[in-house]
Amino acid sequence: MKPLNKDFWKKIVYFAAIFAIFISILLIINYIQYSKLDPVNAKLIENLVQRLNEDPNNEALREEIRTIDLLSRKAYFTSQWQIKMGGYLLLLTVILLVIAMQMTLFGKKEVEFLEKEDTFFAQAKARKWIIYSAIGILFVGFISAFLSHQQLNNNFLAENTNFSKTKKEEKENNFKTELADEELADSAFSDTITVQTDSLNIKLSPFPTNKEIAENYPNFRGIGGNGIIYKKNIPTKWNGQTNQNILWKVKIPLQGYNSPIIWGNFVFVSGANDSKREIYCYEINTGKLIWKHQVKISGSPSTSPKVTPDTGHAAPSLATDGRRVYAIFSNGDILAVDMNGNQIWGRNLGVLGNHYGHSSSLILFQDKVIVQYDQKQEAKVMALNTLTGKTIWNTPRKVKISWASPIVVNTGKQTEIILAADPFIASYNPYTGKENWKIDCIFGEVGPSPAYADGIVFATNEYANLSALKLGEKPEILWQSDEYMSEVPSPIATKDYLFLVTSYGLVACYGAKDGKKLWEHEFSNGFYGSPMLVNNSIYLIDIKGITHIFRASDKFNLIASNPLGENSTCTPAFSDGKILIRGKENLYCFGK
Amino acid sequence: MERREFVNKGIRLSLLLSLAGLTGSLLQNTFSDDYVWQIDANKCTQCGRCVTSCILTPSAVKVVHIHDMCGYCDLCGGYFKPETKNLTTGAENQLCPTNAITRTYIEDPFFEYNINEDLCIGCGKCVAGCDAFGNGSLQLQVRHEICVNCNQCAIATDCPADAFKRVPANKPNLFKGFSGEGADFKT
Amino acid sequence: MNKLFIYIFLLLNLVLLNSVSGQRFPKPEFEKGHTQPELHQSPPRMLVLEYVDVIVLIVALSIASYLIIKKRSRRGIFWLSVFSLLYFGFYREGCVCSIGAIQNVTLALFNPNYNIPITTILFFILPLIYTLFYGRTFCSGVCPLGAIQDLIVFKPIELKKWTQAVLRIIPYIYLSLSVLYAATASDFIICKYDPFVGFFRLDAKFYMFLLGGGFLISGMFIARPYCRFFCPYGLILNWLSRFSKYHMQITPTTCIQCRLCENSCPFDAIDKPEELNIQTDKIVLIRKYLLLILIIPSLIFIGGYTGRQMNNVLAKVNPTVQLAEEIFRYNIKIKNQKNKLPENIEVEGFKASGKTEKQLFTEASVIIEKFKTGGMLVGGFLGLAIGLMLANLSVYKYRKNYTPNKGECFSCGRCINFCPIKIENNIKIIIKKYEATQ
Repeated sequence: MKPLNKDFWKKIVYFAAIFAIFISILLIINYIQYSKLDPVNAKLIENLVQRLNEDPNNEALREEIRTIDLLSRKAYFTSQWQIKMGGYLLLLTVILLVIAMQMTLFGKKEVEFLEKEDTFFAQAKARKWIIYSAIGILFVGFISAFLSHQQLNNNFLAENTNFSKTKKEEKENNFKTELADEELADSAFSDTITVQTDSLNIKLSPFPTNKEIAENYPNFRGIGGNGIIYKKNIPTKWNGQTNQNILWKVKIPLQGYNSPIIWGNFVFVSGANDSKREIYCYEINTGKLIWKHQVKISGSPSTSPKVTPDTGHAAPSLATDGRRVYAIFSNGDILAVDMNGNQIWGRNLGVLGNHYGHSSSLILFQDKVIVQYDQKQEAKVMALNTLTGKTIWNTPRKVKISWASPIVVNTGKQTEIILAADPFIASYNPYTGKENWKIDCIFGEVGPSPAYADGIVFATNEYANLSALKLGEKPEILWQSDEYMSEVPSPIATKDYLFLVTSYGLVACYGAKDGKKLWEHEFSNGFYGSPMLVNNSIYLIDIKGITHIFRASDKFNLIASNPLGENSTCTPAFSDGKILIRGKENLYCFGK
Repeated sequence: MERREFVNKGIRLSLLLSLAGLTGSLLQNTFSDDYVWQIDANKCTQCGRCVTSCILTPSAVKVVHIHDMCGYCDLCGGYFKPETKNLTTGAENQLCPTNAITRTYIEDPFFEYNINEDLCIGCGKCVAGCDAFGNGSLQLQVRHEICVNCNQCAIATDCPADAFKRVPANKPNLFKGFSGEGADFKT
Repeated sequence: MNKLFIYIFLLLNLVLLNSVSGQRFPKPEFEKGHTQPELHQSPPRMLVLEYVDVIVLIVALSIASYLIIKKRSRRGIFWLSVFSLLYFGFYREGCVCSIGAIQNVTLALFNPNYNIPITTILFFILPLIYTLFYGRTFCSGVCPLGAIQDLIVFKPIELKKWTQAVLRIIPYIYLSLSVLYAATASDFIICKYDPFVGFFRLDAKFYMFLLGGGFLISGMFIARPYCRFFCPYGLILNWLSRFSKYHMQITPTTCIQCRLCENSCPFDAIDKPEELNIQTDKIVLIRKYLLLILIIPSLIFIGGYTGRQMNNVLAKVNPTVQLAEEIFRYNIKIKNQKNKLPENIEVEGFKASGKTEKQLFTEASVIIEKFKTGGMLVGGFLGLAIGLMLANLSVYKYRKNYTPNKGECFSCGRCINFCPIKIENNIKIIIKKYEATQ
């Protein structure tokens, strides 16, 4: 066998080793450079694009962005390629190194005889060192155990007991509610409130009679949420800019798109931002803030979900039965406060999967708060006990997210909860939550609530259609139209007519039974607030705050257009002789 | 010596038996197919960790375009940055940081979008855009021809939405609202 | 609710409004007959190939056992390990390997929801069975991690016995922790810290390359550092191999005490002959055994107690516990700072999941409680292991010949090359060689 040229291989070993080290260093440098390149968060380009958005005609800037973008992408992919190639090169070098190393060792059979270690002493020494290291491990273990002794677990357990504690505190200490300064100043006034609520308490049945409800304005769009109310002496002429017929105007501390509700002499609204949620109670004759309640609920997430500015954190309107006021917010907090603003119960229904923000208003049926909770995951409708907040029934729904509100209407034989969400209009039994019927006729991001009149349910949504559903033994589609549809405002129906309001300013009137279009009128502004039918007149507020009043008849007949002096996306509320309008910032009360 | 051999034999036999027992109990809940990792598109929040957490560079996670779900919109939320005014393919308008989406004109007013997977780094920006403004036809998925199928997926440990799971290799996709085989939608 | 979209959309869809579809923007029907591109599928690796892997494993194990026991060929083992490195290492990219399979098996045993693939079971079980019969032939030429280390052995130094003894504690810690974390479905730490998988894939995290590079460079002087002082699977094989039926022998027939093989093993796995004279004093011996009987249970107890106390530290690897800790810290920060903090991805992800904090914290404390038992078992196991190591080091075995230590020996066959006795050689040649070396 030819003797190997060991020196040659040795040289190769050195050469390959040095080369491998060299490549490794290059690779590390390249890697550091590469890790600095982050195409996903390219701040420079983002800034430039922002500048371009402000100045869209700057062609030079546009070119600059394109060039920088190209260069940065090139740098990113070239670095990636270099690292990959470097890796292969290093691998090849290492293989060469290994081969060369094996060659230098090849055939090498030098036998060395070493001094034999004395087994006895070697083992004794090994034992000693094992004991040392065991003590070392034990020591490290003890130190780490001592430093973190049950720390995590205690933290978590403490956090959990905190939850239950706050719950208890809330229950025991109902007087935590912050009373407004005005109320403290005017003690005589507060006395009358207590007297009034006390007198209410005396005759308190678990839920109000129909007569009581009819005298008040207990939820979004009045009784049943159907938009039709019976009130006397509603003003037809006012002007928020010139203070014509204005009774009072107050600034609501926190913003919200919920509409006012009224019980007795009290008006309730809520407001929220992403850290605070509040309920306000105003006196209807003077506009005085009677109380405000800051919502604190155990189990509520520490930060609010993301919502769009046109929906906000307090879009759902409140509901009241004259015993308690119920409110729900964008983070899933639902609560009841008594008429003095003390929290009775509160719970969190779980994070809402809703990319604009939750906006379905609450509605009551007897002793139940009906919550339409059509979220991304686990859409459902549920009824909570008004006194305790416990779930009475919970019906899952196979629907997409909906921003519509429930209506509760008596359809002749029975009372039904009617809900609109992609893909169907469905009716539920308010006692059990069982589904009565459903009809596939709607899709998209449903905003308008259904309307009901004389055995017909009307539902619409932008890009879907306008459907009239005839109830009966077997509910069916009576007629459909796809000429005009609404995105946000709900329709309103009477025995004979259906009034459809669109978000871009068009109002159309249809024959309720046949779907024949009777008239249409285009207003100059769009509508977000829903129409209300009072004394055969329709009150409809546009997004600039102008309330149009027109006859509910087969001819378009405008009675008045009353400016608010402020934008509004809410629906007005009514009390005898008064109309309450929530603007973007202020709450107005008009009356004679 | 013989006694020692005997003891050894006994131990060996009992070890063999216990190995057999172990195998038996493992066979109780075994699975003849293999597992692969996949993102559940329903859970994915497009946090962007897929770009960096994968042991491969670029990541084995890519965006997949399900044309069956696409609206062929002119103003595509997955292609254009949100404030884009001129709907042109200029770099200043593109949401994709690596120019991995191509936009082709089909007929008025429809455009087709395709993914160049060689350029895609799996950041999910377009997925978020399409989810917010469109049909959600762009979805992040693990590409199995790239994925080395690690025993413990490194992205799975980092995923804040807990969206990664092992799925049987014969059903390797987890689309959202799409069954993956034909053009039919899941209800 | 975005104006711009609404208008464009309105224009787009007026014609298509009646087409009933679940989509926000229904798919258009093209007038000019546009062909839609096919959905780009990415099929996973074919199942057949997974079984091919198992067959390759069986064949490789059989060849390794045949080569080392029957053929006594170091060269054969060398080429087999080159093949295994290429196939299981560079072609299969190191996954799934028998070492990592420990965790899959543990997870399957503790978590009935995890269905373990048959191939993984086979990858775990087959080398164990082969080892029970033929010694650690898996390590010699089948395991890609062993192969890569074996090929770069350059100038191995002999480690002192005490250093080896101390380092041998590490696999016990590694094994027990990896089983603990796999059983609690926390993490697969063997895979996470696999030092060589990055080289097989030519792509990995930076720390993995550093770790691997460190092992490879030190591996030139300390032979097979991962196999000897870290590998948890090697530890199981070590124990099984002690009871193996046909283990490799240095001499095919009778040892002639030539001492040629004495320093041939780079892994210090050859037991040298021992005289009996050390253990003459019987009383000392009995005392030692009594001491051991006392020491081992107390070590188990101390280890178990410490492990139980360490449950909080150990549980920090669990993702649920980590998340709970993150949320807890985040809450504290919010309390202290009052103003809104930028949410981090974990917190956002948690909120999107819809779980309440209370649920999460309860879950986390349940897991931490579980880690009490887990920590106790780990501690107890380590106590037992150290006790047994001490016991082993207190026993002096009479040994006449140079024999491979059945536990430590990787059956690589290096020593065979040094033995002058070959099966085919007749006695004369042996004597000649023997004389030549003297």
